[in-house]
Amino acid sequence: MAEFLTAKELAIKVSICLMVLVAVMCLCALVGTQNISFEKVFAGPGQKAGDNIDYEIFIYRLQRVILAALVGAALACSGVVLQAILRNPLADPYILGISSGAGLGVIIATLSGITWTFWSGSPIGLFAFAGALITVWLVWYIGHFTGKSQVTSLLLAGVVINSFFSAIIMFLASIAKSEQVFSTIFWLMGNITEKSFTVLLVSAGCILAGIIVLFALCHRLNVLALGQEEAKGLGVDAARTRIFAFACAAFVTAIAVSLSGLIGFVGLIIPHGVRLTFGPDHRQLLPLSAIIGAGFLVIADTIARIIVAPAQLPVGVITAIAGGPFFLILLAKYSRKVSWSK
Amino acid sequence: MNAIIEVENLNFGYTPQNTILKDISFEVIQGRFLAIAGPNGAGKTTLLNLLCGLLRPKAGSIRIDAAPVESYSVKKLAQKVAVVRQEFVPVFDFTVAQMVSMARTPYLGTFGFETKADKQMINEALEATDTAQFALRPLGSLSGGERQRVFIARALAANSPVLLLDEPTTFLDLKHQVGIYDLLKAAQFEKGKTIVAVTHDINLAAQYCDEILLLGADGNYHIGETKDVLSQEQIEKVFGVRTFVGSLGQEKFFIPLGKFAKDSGQITRKPHNIQQE
Repeated sequence: MAEFLTAKELAIKVSICLMVLVAVMCLCALVGTQNISFEKVFAGPGQKAGDNIDYEIFIYRLQRVILAALVGAALACSGVVLQAILRNPLADPYILGISSGAGLGVIIATLSGITWTFWSGSPIGLFAFAGALITVWLVWYIGHFTGKSQVTSLLLAGVVINSFFSAIIMFLASIAKSEQVFSTIFWLMGNITEKSFTVLLVSAGCILAGIIVLFALCHRLNVLALGQEEAKGLGVDAARTRIFAFACAAFVTAIAVSLSGLIGFVGLIIPHGVRLTFGPDHRQLLPLSAIIGAGFLVIADTIARIIVAPAQLPVGVITAIAGGPFFLILLAKYSRKVSWSK
Repeated sequence: MNAIIEVENLNFGYTPQNTILKDISFEVIQGRFLAIAGPNGAGKTTLLNLLCGLLRPKAGSIRIDAAPVESYSVKKLAQKVAVVRQEFVPVFDFTVAQMVSMARTPYLGTFGFETKADKQMINEALEATDTAQFALRPLGSLSGGERQRVFIARALAANSPVLLLDEPTTFLDLKHQVGIYDLLKAAQFEKGKTIVAVTHDINLAAQYCDEILLLGADGNYHIGETKDVLSQEQIEKVFGVRTFVGSLGQEKFFIPLGKFAKDSGQITRKPHNIQQE
């Protein structure tokens, strides 16, 4: 008798991972340059502001921790989906032009010297979001316009648009004033900062909705990962599923990018790590990647906060420095496993 | 008896100028096993792709279970027709059980979990193809013959009345070739499946298939009972190769003779139970 993934088994795994995630998030919110005591935090807010500083610091940090978790979950999910629909284990959320599009949006916003605010914050995120979605649409359009083998032409269109837009970003950066360039570069490196609870709530709603829709597509992604002909033979409308999954993944990534800039490696290594540990069934891969991606970014951001305190590193630096070796270890383990099984 | 596949005046070409399949008409009765054979480039796989709705005819019609192929949604067509192509290793390391489970995709609910009935069908298919022993192993760790059995298990788990196969035994050794056809024959007899298999092996077709469709590169075709269609003259006409035809009891077999074959068509040393026709 073969064993099958049941909804119950998945629910148990997801609940355990979620509990661990919440514990990690609380722990990370307790850690920082300013020491705070667990008892005071547990005592709750004071009568008026300033009564219980420890609690207020905890809540302030928690906003950042929640943001990191949201961004990590979004990027990991998007990575899972793009790897499946492009049938390429090297695909990441940025492969189809999201990064360069968002970057271009940001540098245009910075250079144009806009003064208006959006949700009591800088409108840079809004520009990044718009830039990302417009570029993804462009890549999708070019990819489908040019070739019959859509996966290859999509990837090629993504690479071409990415490098074209990167060149424009370089050009704009080289003619801009240095302080403007600095803020853009900091953004391009990926940076998580505290956001208000309103922003968090709205983005959390969008990201969670995106993940739930993607979860409903997961059994079709399994089939889609075998190729278009196979998918059709197994009753899945490949073209429709692909565009729908892609649109959701792009939307979720664009939100993440608009919140935190370009954070690399999460969308690439988390899906790989989870696939190696739990197998390639997307019904399990997607939710577990979301939770583990969230945890990974929360920890990475905590390290970024404290490692060079009182200064702070962009979290993108930590994910790349920690992610690179981690990825190589996984790869070595993976190749050994394959040669063993053959 | 009902015809489950009806092809009428089918025409197809990949470009407007060229036509690979010209005015082809035939039908397959429910529960019969049809082989499609012919030289490379004659359009065998194209015909199979037309039957499973992957390609659309230029002219003419294909009906599956009395309805035109194009009238089915992708999902409904998959419930009628299961397709087995040449075995391959997927990009991601799916296990045998996961691969076979995918056959149930057209029947799954919103979040895609198998019901008890689905699981039973999957387990039956694994047992029938003797692949249950590999259920938890990644597909990439199996041999080509074992993998092809998994793909046939997947087609059986789909529980569709029609099975289409594209060269299911290419790259397999003799034992596995016979093993695959034994499995198909069992599915035909025990489950009443209608099977259409594209093949290069006319000997396996002669042994296992009720009917054969010989597609010529010139666009001509012959269809009929295997024993009537397959003859030395017909094979030479379609494939352009001389053959030695022998028989073993009821079975006819064909050995292609190349330029260097000794005694063109005459066998010098005869095993005692083989007679030349």
